Formats: sequence, C-alpha cells, structure tokens
Amino acid sequence: MNEMKKTAITLNVNNETYDIVTYPNRTLLEVLRDDLHLTGTKESCGEGVCGSCTVLVDGTPVRSCLTLAVAAQGKEITTIEGLSVGEKLHPVQEAFVNHHAIQCGFCSPGMILTSYALLKENPRPTEIEIRRALSGNVCRCTGYAKIVEAVKSLAEGGN
Amino acid sequence: MRLPPFQYLEPTNVEEALSMISAHKEMAKIMAGGTDLLNRMKLRLIEPAFVVNIGKLRNMDGIDIGDAETIIGANTRLKDIAGTALVNKRFRAIAEAAFQVASPTITNMATVGGNLLQNTRCMYYDQSGMVLSGLERCHKRGGTVCLAVKGSKRCFSVYQGDMAPALIAFDARCVLEKKGSTRTVPITELFTDNGVSPFAIGADELLTKILIPKPEGIYSSAYRKLRLRGSVDYPLASAAAFVSVTNDKKVTTCRVVIGAAGAAPKVIDGASREADLEGIAQKAYDHAEGVDNLKMPGAYRRKMVSVLAKRAIQAAIEDIK
Repeated sequence: MNEMKKTAITLNVNNETYDIVTYPNRTLLEVLRDDLHLTGTKESCGEGVCGSCTVLVDGTPVRSCLTLAVAAQGKEITTIEGLSVGEKLHPVQEAFVNHHAIQCGFCSPGMILTSYALLKENPRPTEIEIRRALSGNVCRCTGYAKIVEAVKSLAEGGN
Repeated sequence: MRLPPFQYLEPTNVEEALSMISAHKEMAKIMAGGTDLLNRMKLRLIEPAFVVNIGKLRNMDGIDIGDAETIIGANTRLKDIAGTALVNKRFRAIAEAAFQVASPTITNMATVGGNLLQNTRCMYYDQSGMVLSGLERCHKRGGTVCLAVKGSKRCFSVYQGDMAPALIAFDARCVLEKKGSTRTVPITELFTDNGVSPFAIGADELLTKILIPKPEGIYSSAYRKLRLRGSVDYPLASAAAFVSVTNDKKVTTCRVVIGAAGAAPKVIDGASREADLEGIAQKAYDHAEGVDNLKMPGAYRRKMVSVLAKRAIQAAIEDIK
C-alpha cells in the first residue's frame, strides 16, 4: 500500500471559501458531498460516462468524479446549490420545472449546470448545439425531449 | 469507486515536472486532464506511488499555427482543438478526431497528450479487481496467457486513441523532454506495437509538444470512427485519411491511417499516388486485427476499418471539390 499524507486544501465553492484537510486521492465529488455536505452533486457511474457529477470549474462543465479535489484549488467551483438565490430558482431551473424536464431528478443537477454553461457561452444555441452540449449527460427517465425543450425555451428568449 | 492512495505532486513549470518524474520514474504517473488515468487507477490497473499533475502548466497549452509548422502544446484541451477554426480548415482530420473523442464535458478536461498516450484496452483487462480476480492473469497483467485469443503468446489489447491516426496522417512529430535532453520523434515512433507496453517512451520523459508540418498544395483530410454511443465511446474501428491533389485535381498523395485495429495505429500504403478506394480498403482490412475483445465482434470491426478507410478518403476528396 502506498504512503499517503493528509493535506490542507482551500476550495472556492459557490463563492464561499472552504478550508479542509483531506487525502490527495479524494475526488472533488467526494469532498463536495461528504465534507462540504453539498449533496446536490450526484454520483452515478463514477467513471466519467454519465454526467450526474457535473460541476462548473471556472465556468466550464467538468466531471467531478474525475477531478482531484486537491487539483481544484485556486479555481471557482459552482455546484447546483450555487445557482438559486435563497428560495428563488435560477431561470434555467425554472425552465426545467416549467417544461417537466425533471422526473426522478438524479441527472438534473448535471443537466442544469451543463445547460447553464452552454447558455452563458452561447445565449441562442440551436437544437443541435443543445443536444451536443448535453450529450455527456445521461437521463434514464425523460427521453431528453423535455430537457431539450426547456433549454430551447431559454434560447428563444424566455418561456 | 475510490482512488488508491498516492502522493500528489504539482509542478509549477516544465523543469520542475521533469525533475519530479526523473526522481520517481516508474513510481510516478503523469496526469494532465485525468479522464483516462483516474479511471485506470480506480480500477486498480495501476497504483502509482506519485501522481504528477501537469494539467496546470499553461506553457504546455495552446495552438500556434505557423506558416511552415503548427505547434500544439500537449496540455491543449481537445475541445480547444476541435473548436479552433484554423485547425478545422488546415487539419480537418485532427479537428474531427478531437471533436469525436467524447462529449464536451470530457473534452473540456481531456488533453491531446493524454489522448495520444492512452494505454491499450481489452475487455479482459479493463475491469475492476472483482472481475479480474476471477480471470487468469493475462500478458498485460504480467501473466502468460491471452484471454482474448486462446493460446496466443502475445497480447491483443487495442490502441483506442482518436488523435494518433489523425496526427500521423499529417506526418506529425512530437517533442519528448527529459532532464537535460530533448528529442523530437515522428508520432509513429511513439508506438511499440506491443499491447503489454505500447509506448516507446522512458519513464522520465514528458511529452510536451506536437509539431504538424503544413502540407504543400491543395489537400484535405478526414477522420471517421465506429462506436456504440456517439457521446462517450472509444473507437471500435477508425480511419484517418490525408489526400493532396495537383491543380487539375490529380491525386498526388493518399495516406490512410487506421486505428482501433491493433496495439498501434497503422499507416496503410505509406503515400500512395492514387486514391484507389478498393485497393486501400483491402489493405486496411489486411492490416487490421479483428479480435473479440471490445464491445463489437472482431470480424465486424475489421470489416468496418476498411469501410471507414474508404469513407475517410471519400470525405477528404469531397472536401477538396
């Protein structure tokens, strides 16, 4: 068994600074959920295929299950908890609710964050661009149509 | 799945990275995007004592498109390669390969260097410890049998990187640095064609750059790939084609490189002077290994290598027109 020492790291998550002491082999997903109790980020496949663990790192959607927490220092991390303001949902979340784009909800944090990043970069994406952007997020319930509709409603300038 | 224990090292510049890998050699693994390495570690296929994260070294990042040569830093994210208009224009196969590696959430992280040096894969090897504990130890795990080809004395694991065939189609080279020296080699020479240890790189060497010469005259290229899911899968068969023509559209070079057809990408027919579709397709089929060790049957994958070789040539010719 290899040697390993705990190390002190500082993470900036949803504009808040967290100082924690952890092992270097822990993924960002594990630290977000188990240490910071931000359980909106979900673990599913754990191997970068399904997209349920998607978070934004410096505004870009990435797999938190394939990101080391220690390597995420110095970056701005946004989780699903960072989108709403108090009880007020973000427009992307509102659109998912209004278009019934949520069933079991397990993929929703990843879907919403990926959609949010897409709309920031490209406020008027075409359907093909929406589908391409969301191609790394698996949903086993909706069949995707409602999710695409929700994002399209925002791309067209509101719902 | 949790990661095995390791010590984490984060160099602040290339020299420091070279010192670290020179000190720890085989005990260290280099991480850039981490999308491939961390999965292999989660499966316990490798358990390095040190992980050297070069992903933050910004001077190993970026695309410099020059008149004679284009330089792509090994740390350049695949999404940036796929999204650069001039790469799409000049090196279409390379942009197409980068685009097709996986969905944007993966290519936001994954780098060209990491994709190039992706280890070979096999369904009897890329498995969790629980599955492997029920299997005989194969060549790639230090044993003496091949579970994919019964009785074989060698490993039949498959190289499934997307970038290598496209880069080789453009005669690209790469820069390997180690403490005190640097060498530049054609990308074809990175490969040993041995599935057990597929790369001819020292444990103290770091891939820092990829150099692509600007082709002369009128040319185009294309990359085609077979996979089950459009969003994430490694290629089950692939082909990159580079075609150049004279002013009166006579083919002067037709170079095809096939992937996912053995332990290394294979150049078909060097630089043929004509785009003989059926002839090249047959040669691609003859050169391809089709073993039942990936998600689709080997015989089908082998046929698809020749189909994709034709499609890539046709797409490149179509683009020139």
